[in-house]
Amino acid sequence: MSGMTTGPETLGALTDETVVDSNSTKAKAISGKSPMRIALGRLLKDKIAVLCAIIAFSFILIAVLAGVITDLFNVSLAANRPSELLSFTTGLPKTGPPNNGFDPAHPFGLAPRTADDNLAYWVYGCRTSLIIAGGATLVAASVGIVTGLVAGFLGGAVDRVLSFLIDLFLTVPFLLAALALAPIINERFATDPNYFTIQRWTLIAVLAGFGWMGVARLIRGEVLSLREREFVQAARVLGMPTSRILIKELMPNLAAPIVVSVSLMLPAFVAAEAGLAFLGIGVTSGASWGQTITKAVPFFDNYPLFLYLPMIGITLLVLSLNLLGDAIRDALDPKTRR
Amino acid sequence: MRRTKPLAAVAVASLLALAACGGGGDSEGDGTDTGGRKFEDTGAGTKDAEAEGPAPEIDGAAEGGTITVYLPADPGPSDLDPTGGWSVTGNSIQQALTHRSLTQFTRDEEGNAILVPDLATDLGVPNVDFTEWTFTIKDNVTWETGDPVTAEEVAFGITRSLDSTEFPSGPGTEYSKPFFLDGDKYEGPYTDKGKAYEGVTFDADANTVTIAMAKPFPDMDYWGSFMAMGPAPLGDASNPPDYGKKPLSTGPYKVESFRPEEELVVVRNDQWDPASDPSRHQYADSFVFKFNQDQAQVDEIMLSGNSESQTAVSTSIGADNYAQADEALGERLVQQGAQCISTLTPDYTKITEIEVRKALAWAYPYEDAWLAGGELPGVTRIPADSYMPPGMAGKKDYFADGEQFTFNPERSKELLAEAGYEPGEYEITMLYSEEPVATATQRQIKRGFEEGGFTVTEIPIPATQSPYDYWLDPDNKINKRLNLRGVNWCSDWPSGSTMIPPLLKTGAVYNTAFFSEAAVDEEIENISTLPLEEQADAWGALDEMVGTEYFPTVITAFRNDLFTFGERVGSPAGLGSIGAPYYQNLYISE
Repeated sequence: MSGMTTGPETLGALTDETVVDSNSTKAKAISGKSPMRIALGRLLKDKIAVLCAIIAFSFILIAVLAGVITDLFNVSLAANRPSELLSFTTGLPKTGPPNNGFDPAHPFGLAPRTADDNLAYWVYGCRTSLIIAGGATLVAASVGIVTGLVAGFLGGAVDRVLSFLIDLFLTVPFLLAALALAPIINERFATDPNYFTIQRWTLIAVLAGFGWMGVARLIRGEVLSLREREFVQAARVLGMPTSRILIKELMPNLAAPIVVSVSLMLPAFVAAEAGLAFLGIGVTSGASWGQTITKAVPFFDNYPLFLYLPMIGITLLVLSLNLLGDAIRDALDPKTRR
Repeated sequence: MRRTKPLAAVAVASLLALAACGGGGDSEGDGTDTGGRKFEDTGAGTKDAEAEGPAPEIDGAAEGGTITVYLPADPGPSDLDPTGGWSVTGNSIQQALTHRSLTQFTRDEEGNAILVPDLATDLGVPNVDFTEWTFTIKDNVTWETGDPVTAEEVAFGITRSLDSTEFPSGPGTEYSKPFFLDGDKYEGPYTDKGKAYEGVTFDADANTVTIAMAKPFPDMDYWGSFMAMGPAPLGDASNPPDYGKKPLSTGPYKVESFRPEEELVVVRNDQWDPASDPSRHQYADSFVFKFNQDQAQVDEIMLSGNSESQTAVSTSIGADNYAQADEALGERLVQQGAQCISTLTPDYTKITEIEVRKALAWAYPYEDAWLAGGELPGVTRIPADSYMPPGMAGKKDYFADGEQFTFNPERSKELLAEAGYEPGEYEITMLYSEEPVATATQRQIKRGFEEGGFTVTEIPIPATQSPYDYWLDPDNKINKRLNLRGVNWCSDWPSGSTMIPPLLKTGAVYNTAFFSEAAVDEEIENISTLPLEEQADAWGALDEMVGTEYFPTVITAFRNDLFTFGERVGSPAGLGSIGAPYYQNLYISE
């Protein structure tokens, strides 16, 4: 996101709406639109954006209603008995995919070896993905915005220290740090009864800890150019406190870059969460798409559906969030014309 | 003998074992169609002191070609020094192909492992109370250089096994040090450099080696089948650790190149005299052992039937490909009994009531845990009833609680009630690896125990660490909290003496139950003084006595391995005494 700020004074002129006579009644209607409303209008006209929004929203619904959905299909995360449900020679389910027809008791089939219900794991895996990605995005965006605002606006020594911090975090390799942290966390908390909650929070912290720098840099850059603008100077001259300038004057002008970076951060975290779980250093208990993929890889030849389910979940969610993010960026950027 | 490599690989195997250890009814489930393949007994070990070389030719065997052996998920030995080798993988390869010792195991046509002479002319001559053994070395045994193997070199090689500083994980620590004369005082030729040692002596003229014992050791002939009981070049030529990179060979093959955890290539040794060897053959020109292979890839190769697979051997097969391999390979999928048990060990100092320990055995979900661990119930794992695995001389079939333990949560609750515990009152604390297969197995175990009336506290450990790192560390704070551990043990030779003392003797390293009963310790000491022919039955009786009176261990499974052989690899078979492919008879057919 390297475009210039989307100030209100430029949005109206560069929009792709037909320029109309400023004295007509239509002109009055347009003049009442805020930049955000204009962007929303553009977004709603973008068919791909709408489709992606619907898909992303369905995933959120699935995650929120995971319990209801599993109850509806009468499946659960509880351990089944493999000796009753699986063939002894292949370790594959005796009913349902891959070798038999549809099994209404387990609509997505059963996992090989463990006889876990695929539907329940998929639905709860979605919840895990979204909770962790959402949590990490929230934390990373908040930290990034505050750091960027403060560094950009105050400048001087504060800016140098914060910029150094940003650079420092950027130099630490994310995967290495995650790999190193997992056993440390385990050693410290393995005997704690809340280990799995702690594990999730750690994961959010790790993802956010290595995800905030991009936002911080972006915001800092935006603030650097905004703080020299007349309306900020005016506010300073009037003696507004710094916090009020930051929140009331600068923040609204930063809405666009924030919305864009957040909408692109979310899918990146979904993918990262699955990646870490695949490596065995993310969520190790309960449902997780990444973990299911690890388990499913050796069975791809004999039971491809087992791998396809989480793959489809991740691909659809990440793709729809990414496209939606792109569409939001385009909608907010007055210079893109379509 | 621990499964595969010391520690690191025991860990891997034990993860699987833990993941997959179990025993349970194999006939009650209605899904027990194992394609007609049943669990293999290893066959009782017998001896033949008269066997003489050369070994009988195999019908249809041809010379030439290279046999490639894939070892999936097996790092192999870290060095090849015969004195340090104590792993199923390393010993099975080296003892079959490159390194001869006093005695050796051969395989008869029925698949039984038979102890026959190797470097020695017979199986050794003990004195009356087994405190002194004399072996006469054959005249026609040579090094790969063509020099004859002398009694002095054999005596030196045997003496090396007493150096527990240079070879800390060598088998000498378990068998040479406790039994050989002054084994506890003499630290071996490297640590106690220049010090004279009276325990192992030789007579150059008669070509004999005499080993004096500190206490009766009737199993010396079996111990002689380890490559550690073979020759080593005198002086600096065999200094560890350099010697382990390229040891001198005495067998039908010699080491051409060795890259640890990657590849070992052995080629034909022209100086080996077939007339001196009652068991080994020299058909293929070379063997290439590829370690640490990916199971899925190896399965693909072995099932493809292409030219690469035709001359290949694999030491395991993925459970998910078993049915397909069984159909496609037929006789070339070999099922080999390993003299191994998987166990759960309730802490004897914490779980003091025998009813509770028995309740654990009823609450363990044998088949569910095997399936979740990727094993094949009835094929690679069967229910176990004793410490001594099937086929071991003296093994008794007994049932510690009236009948074979199966998953029976009701019986478990009954026993808990007898001990005075309500369902959910008794807490089991165990650890598991966060590795996915182990985690999946743990879920089954937890569910089984909970249905059986226990509460389970689980402590996860990182996937990169082995449960043994915790179980064997007395100061570990997690280990101190556990009241249920496990161990996975294989015999070193078919005798109860390599199964029962390492697991049940007070203070033994792998006695993770901390089982300690004076009566059992006394009996263990007592058995080694008994006449040889009574020992096997005495071990069997002790096995039953411990199982019925104390029940310190939940023995969850006897284990089998599956090997696959390429289309053109002749005489596909395994050797029961070690649980590995029988490399020495393999050939490439025309």
